Amino acid sequence: MGLAGFEVEVQRQTEGGGLVTEDMTLNMGPQHPSTHGVLRFVVRADGEVMKEALPDVGYLHRSIEKIAEKVGWHGFLPYTDRVDYVAAMFCNHGWAMACEQLAGIAVPRRGEYCRVIADEMCRLHSHLLSVGSMAMDLGAFTPFTHAIREREYLNDLFEELCGARLTFHYMRIGGVGWDLPPGFGDKLAHFLDRFEPLIDEYDRLISYNKIYTERLAGVAVISPQDAIDYNLVGPNLRGSGIRYDVRRDDPYSVYPELDFEVPVGRGELGVLGDCFDRYIVRVREMRESCRILRQCLRQIPDGPVIAKVPRNFKPPAGDCYVRVESARGDMGWYVVSDGTAFPHRCKIRTGSFAAISMIPRLSRGLMLADLVAVIASLDLVAPEIDR
Amino acid sequence: MGLGSYLRNIADTVVTIADGLAVTASHLVRKPVTVEYPDRVPDGVRVQDTLPFRYRGMLEVDLEICTACLACERACPIDCIVIDAVKDKAAGGLVMTRFDIDMAKCMYCGLCSEPCPTGAIHHTPEFEGADYSLESLVRRFVKEPTLAYRPKKGGETDPVLAPLLERGLAYVSDFADPDRSGSGA
Amino acid sequence: MSELVDRLVANGTLPAVLPLWVWQLGAMVLFGSIVVFLFVLPVAGITTWVERRIMARMQSRIGPNRTGPVGFLQWLADGVKNLLKEDIVPAAADARLFRAAPYVVIVGFVATFAAIPFSSALIIADLDIGILYVTAVTALVVVGILMAGWSSNNKWALLGGIRSAAQIVSYEIPAGLSIFPAVLLAGTLSMQGIIAAQGPAPWQWFVFDNPFAFCAFVVLFTASLAEGNRTPFDLPEAESELVAGFATEYSGMRNLLFFMAEWGNLYVIGAIATTLFLGGWQIPWALEGHPVLRHLLETLTFVVKASVVGILLPIWLRWTLPRVRVDQMMVMCWKYLVPIALVNLLGTAMWVVAFPNGLLPIRLALLALTVCAAALFVRRVIFHLRNARLGREHLSFNPLATARSPG
Repeated sequence: MGLAGFEVEVQRQTEGGGLVTEDMTLNMGPQHPSTHGVLRFVVRADGEVMKEALPDVGYLHRSIEKIAEKVGWHGFLPYTDRVDYVAAMFCNHGWAMACEQLAGIAVPRRGEYCRVIADEMCRLHSHLLSVGSMAMDLGAFTPFTHAIREREYLNDLFEELCGARLTFHYMRIGGVGWDLPPGFGDKLAHFLDRFEPLIDEYDRLISYNKIYTERLAGVAVISPQDAIDYNLVGPNLRGSGIRYDVRRDDPYSVYPELDFEVPVGRGELGVLGDCFDRYIVRVREMRESCRILRQCLRQIPDGPVIAKVPRNFKPPAGDCYVRVESARGDMGWYVVSDGTAFPHRCKIRTGSFAAISMIPRLSRGLMLADLVAVIASLDLVAPEIDR
Repeated sequence: MGLGSYLRNIADTVVTIADGLAVTASHLVRKPVTVEYPDRVPDGVRVQDTLPFRYRGMLEVDLEICTACLACERACPIDCIVIDAVKDKAAGGLVMTRFDIDMAKCMYCGLCSEPCPTGAIHHTPEFEGADYSLESLVRRFVKEPTLAYRPKKGGETDPVLAPLLERGLAYVSDFADPDRSGSGA
Repeated sequence: MSELVDRLVANGTLPAVLPLWVWQLGAMVLFGSIVVFLFVLPVAGITTWVERRIMARMQSRIGPNRTGPVGFLQWLADGVKNLLKEDIVPAAADARLFRAAPYVVIVGFVATFAAIPFSSALIIADLDIGILYVTAVTALVVVGILMAGWSSNNKWALLGGIRSAAQIVSYEIPAGLSIFPAVLLAGTLSMQGIIAAQGPAPWQWFVFDNPFAFCAFVVLFTASLAEGNRTPFDLPEAESELVAGFATEYSGMRNLLFFMAEWGNLYVIGAIATTLFLGGWQIPWALEGHPVLRHLLETLTFVVKASVVGILLPIWLRWTLPRVRVDQMMVMCWKYLVPIALVNLLGTAMWVVAFPNGLLPIRLALLALTVCAAALFVRRVIFHLRNARLGREHLSFNPLATARSPG
């Protein structure tokens, strides 16, 4: 490999009869169809069975945290979309919440409801991609296209709401950028009516398919203690049976007013904490998101959607740490202000970074085909890891 | 593995595969959802016209109603808008000699169109911007030095400017306003 | 074929100045070339078109629709594109093996067509050991794939080649074991003989002869899928893991040869299954006085049966199922398919001894069971459509449908 600190220790064994065998060092390079984004793994394998898979991150590092210090409070919001472009609303939400906490701004209730609607739609968006990509990585291409087709309908809704399909920039400091357009509630309700049965159909197509469950059940088991030790969050943590959800346990926005379940893995088809559990938690979370969306549409109050925030925003000096329950789990935003129009420091803590740190440990003894399943089940996205 | 679980494995495999095949077969008879863009859309339909009002496509500047306040230049986080405006007493106000937007840098965030007082700078549904050279992506809106617009008290009466202003103000007022209450869903 | 040549030499059309075996050989070469260039290659190409259109409809899209009227010339365009591509041989690759590997694979595939019948008289060589020859020659593909994987000097290609070798060699066993019930029922290894022992009506096919033969058909089909590197057994070319497996380093025409072998092999799978179990080219009418019409109908029957079983069904399975892992594939072969195939073989042998002419009630019962299963399946499909809240206006039974409205 030649990279300092990245030497892989190749082991040689002498079998009976003097046959010397050596491990194979494979490079699952930055360009690869199934590493979600530009991730690189240096795999040391004994034939098909891996001994170690070392992740090499940084191919998608764009210095976003440094850019925050250059573009100012308002100007950084579009950049937060790119922190995790698969689930961009949550990143918007985190930064906006951090700024509001620093400056002591209260978001109007209707604005909070708009935020939750956008968040949960984005959760559906992200989980559809995650679940579809997982199926595709394991060889089933059709469920992926079905998931993408449903995502297209969501994209249409997002276009109406904020004008963009990927980098939403929907939220602003103090609320959201636009109120719900006229007729949006009906369109969203119509989408949900159409979509919920399709989750069941998706289950019948792939989730309980014997070949699929055989690939996932019992693979890469993360015990609850390991999950906590390695700082896993979100569906990765809940897949190991730990019922922790920031929306429930450290609530923000209007989540206390909403009624929803937090699905956890139960080890139903294999061992608790295997790839299947993490996968099925995501599918179940999609159903819960639909439930939350319907409640929001019923309960949304009248009022303004944004608070008065000066264009020359200068929060008092201080720091804060806010957390949002992103599609990939607890996303933490540590923001330090020095009283000027530019943030002093912004640090983003993402769930995928912790998850990828667990790969060397998980990959021992797995087969190469399982590495793909593990990467997909942990829902790693490179932009979140590298920022 | 006992005979029971062996046979159950076989039965599970057959049943789940058959159900999956049924789902796929049901898709075979559904209408495809492909839009055969760009050359086989229905006659008379431009895809751009079907996009929603808030769609953040390529930027457009209605220079006739631009007040040269430079709010968009200040708001842009990437500094892709460059405006040169000088006070010219003889002409009677600010004269713009340059209004360039580098579309190659623009990230379509919409921060420039929010603070615009007249809605001169706004996003359009246009998304077909591919070109062969990077230089051609810099859109230069000022052809000759232009006098900045001064909003008239009591509304605009000029037949050319009034519709532009109306459209621009509709675009800008679509943004969230702390003093405006929304209702319903 | 040989009788035709004999007749032509006997009545002087072909001069007897050359010995008979020369004419026979020449006729075989000529017919073989016609079959290869006018049937095998176009079938391999058209199968890709059919696959892409069918898979697209399963995914709510259209598939190729720009090159040619309904995208029908897409495969020709792909072929021309591959011919025009730069021919790269990696510097560290074993050049001779690298260059030879695609040809070994293609030979292993095309050579099967020498023994595959099209109608009662249209077969290049009616070998007495027809089916044995076909099974033996398809094993040549393993050598080619291993050569490709090894000579590429690429660890991923090597993994793909080794996986494929293990897979094909393992699945030869259940495939071979499943061929024997049909051979037992027919009493001959000759392809034409096996077809002649069946009849045109569905209950006269070997697949419905007895329950063991039915299971043998299913095992044969599964094992053939594995031999052809089709999903769910497409590990050697698992796109998401090994990029392209053993064919990673291949570009241009060499790459195309591999894929042609894979898609053309679909037809071979169908042809073998049709010959052995589905009554081959048997048609209900004798048509003694119209040989051309008879052979045309027989060929059509054979091609249609082979296409449904060998092309449509694998396409359907490929785009529904995920991929099995290497060790699971091995488990499936050795722990499930081989014991079942052995049981089928013993069962058929006992059946043949007990009921030399078969039992018509059992045949009809099996046929009825299959029809019932198909009806239940259609009901399930309708259930899925109702579940997705789709009315008649959302359905389209037109295979060439397009949806032409934006937004």
